[in-house]
Amino acid sequence: MALFLLRRTTQMIVVVICVVTLVFVLLRIAGGDPARLMNAADASEEVIAATQARLGLDQPLAVQYLYFLRSIVTGDFGRSFHGGYEVRDVVFAALPNTVALAVVTVLVSTAFALLLGIGSALLRGTLLDRAVQVYVSLAQSTPSFWLAVMLVLVFAVNLSWLPAIDFTGPISFVLPVITLMVALTPILIRTIRQSFVETLERDYIRAARARGVSNARVLMIHTLKVASLPLITLVGLQSGMILAGSYVVEVIFNWPGIGKLAVDALASRNYPMVQGSVLIAAVAFVLVNFVVDILYSVLDPRIRLGAEA
Amino acid sequence: MRLRRLAVLATGLLLVAACSPSEVPGEEPADAVEDASEAVDGDEPSGTVRFLIAENFWADWTPYQSTAQSQSRLNHHIYDTLLTFPSGDLGDPQPHLATEWEQIDDDTWEFTLRDDVSFHDGQPLTGHDIKASVELASGAAGEETVLQGRWVPTTVEVIDDHTVRFEMESPFASLFNAIRQTPIVSAEDVEAGSERLAANPNGTGPFILESETETIKTMVVNPDYWGGPASIDTLVWEYVGDAQTRVNALLAGQADAIDRVPPEHLPTIEEADGFELISATASEQVNLFSVPNRVPEWDENPDLRRAVMLAIDHEALVDSLVQGESVAAQSFLPSETLYYSPGEIDYSQNLEEARALVAEAGLEGLEFDVWAASGFLPRGEQVAEAIVANLNEIGLEARLVTADVAGLVDDSVDGTGLLYHISWSSGGDPDAAAGIYASPNRWTHGDDTIDRLVQEGKTTMDETEREAIYDELQQYLWEELPHIPLYYSDFTVAYSDELQGLRVLPNYETNFYPASISE
Repeated sequence: MALFLLRRTTQMIVVVICVVTLVFVLLRIAGGDPARLMNAADASEEVIAATQARLGLDQPLAVQYLYFLRSIVTGDFGRSFHGGYEVRDVVFAALPNTVALAVVTVLVSTAFALLLGIGSALLRGTLLDRAVQVYVSLAQSTPSFWLAVMLVLVFAVNLSWLPAIDFTGPISFVLPVITLMVALTPILIRTIRQSFVETLERDYIRAARARGVSNARVLMIHTLKVASLPLITLVGLQSGMILAGSYVVEVIFNWPGIGKLAVDALASRNYPMVQGSVLIAAVAFVLVNFVVDILYSVLDPRIRLGAEA
Repeated sequence: MRLRRLAVLATGLLLVAACSPSEVPGEEPADAVEDASEAVDGDEPSGTVRFLIAENFWADWTPYQSTAQSQSRLNHHIYDTLLTFPSGDLGDPQPHLATEWEQIDDDTWEFTLRDDVSFHDGQPLTGHDIKASVELASGAAGEETVLQGRWVPTTVEVIDDHTVRFEMESPFASLFNAIRQTPIVSAEDVEAGSERLAANPNGTGPFILESETETIKTMVVNPDYWGGPASIDTLVWEYVGDAQTRVNALLAGQADAIDRVPPEHLPTIEEADGFELISATASEQVNLFSVPNRVPEWDENPDLRRAVMLAIDHEALVDSLVQGESVAAQSFLPSETLYYSPGEIDYSQNLEEARALVAEAGLEGLEFDVWAASGFLPRGEQVAEAIVANLNEIGLEARLVTADVAGLVDDSVDGTGLLYHISWSSGGDPDAAAGIYASPNRWTHGDDTIDRLVQEGKTTMDETEREAIYDELQQYLWEELPHIPLYYSDFTVAYSDELQGLRVLPNYETNFYPASISE
């Protein structure tokens, strides 16, 4: 176990360093001098140069990169180009909002997908099964940005039942979570249904039933445990994706999370803020995957943690 | 089993706790903002106004280091200027921090200050504050500032605590515009250095900065304001880049005012009950700006530039794409600019004539790039697409390149494009409007006539002579077409009718000081 943890931690550090390095390089390759964006179009070259010096952009790229690595190691992500705020403070203030959105979305989506997926597997070929298939097809073909706007127009603007924007309390989750849920659940439902259909036909399930084990026990203990392995993989990946990439929903709902922070910062080439946001998103992503690996071994003892495998 | 239920309950409680928004340092959560709008008796300030804006906050509070519109609008609420221009007309200054002003000679002006003004930290305003501010802003203090391009170097003599005399390096006809753009800061803060100025906006204005984040600035009323306290108690400025989100927030009652309403949303807001619109057109000029030395034929052949101008259907761009209150450009200066005079040559679309000009010049098949930025000017990509189609109809081989604003600016500095679809906002001052066409900056072609006329316009004090100079300049630009003028932007603010007295000037200045909000 200790060896596994050491190996995975090393892997995670390498992955995070690779990601932030890639972002550092891509930001510079993408072009767009922040100093020019901050000044008027007719600003003199002297003024531009003074701004570049103030932002540290007059240093060679290698020096900027070393400063950047040092800032990661010291836990000081630098200061925002706009307003001079500590990037660390801003990013860590936004992180819980994104995590809250991700947790609620994953819980609601998983519960919803389990309900429809299991129901659909148990009632194969029935009207319910067909209705679920129709939902899956519709949900898969619905663009998130369109759905989000429609939900706001109906439930916030026309009916005034729910807030259109902001994160002010539990009620604020309803529309963003529905938007994300519609995007996430089709593949979850398909996976659960398929997994249950296959598992229910296994010999050991038949044997359990033959031994007189109740249907509920067969379903909840014998089937769910096996069928949940692919589900955990998917939920793990999707959690990471929401943590790192729910920016469309965050922008439309003005959700004060990391996604919106990164998008706003990218438009103005606010390098420290983009780098800080991506760093935290990358760490969150690898941590979630790490937890998924641990859960795997708990659910299926045949999967050993690393060295013995 | 009971333990499991307890665990489930505990998990549920934790989730509910987790569902409360994380507070950004210094930021009030939205429910706290609502609480701030408690009814207050009598004429006491009351109510919170939330204003969602389309332009991010680009700068810190270091004065004179930004010309961003968002920063300027914030500054006008926290700081005061020497004079004010309530009608937006620079020719009609009104007393503000200065009660009287007099031109002594071409290079010298004297101002008498109010004696009842204090900064937010309690220090009284004196002539030393004016001296520190103006010398820093104008570049006379030896420090590079963004604003110095709107000034000529100016030193200030403090005659007494409430009288100052400006000594300018040369006659300066755009002094009032420079004053309009120069918030007065405290001499003590200037002496303390740029870090203090950057972090501590200490003005004399009607609002005091209470808290701020990257995207939200919260101000509260200054109860000791010399002009009397504002009616609004709390004013929240928030950057929300997505136009649809701003409109949704307004219609859902979560914002009191929004700016840059996209034209396609104007009918929705007009038809909805309880909302008002104010449109200000004619202070922002949208051009296809060209960069010199990219395509020699463009620099050398005026017929090519005329052909491009004739190929574009300006009216159709405005009516079908940009919409709203936009107006097709008739000059290189926006129509709200002092001394505006429309060009005399008619450039209505004439594809036949344009095609003939290209053919006569032997320029059929000339290749060049036209750049447009997504998410910047309303429908910028579609406008550029229509223009490129027009240009290709007359035998040119124009290519459309789209990028974000940063990418476009980058290419304009050291790329290969020829024409860039961007805007220039100037607040009604002819020098500020024309300065972009004169040396030295990367958009200029080093045209001696333009450079001379812009310089003369800046330094000629006689109004009649100055008007003639700007007329000559506009006619010259309209004939030479160093860039391709397109239209004047529509800048529309939408607001709830519970918000009364909001002032939006033709130069986009948005003033909440005279406004009040119903409980």
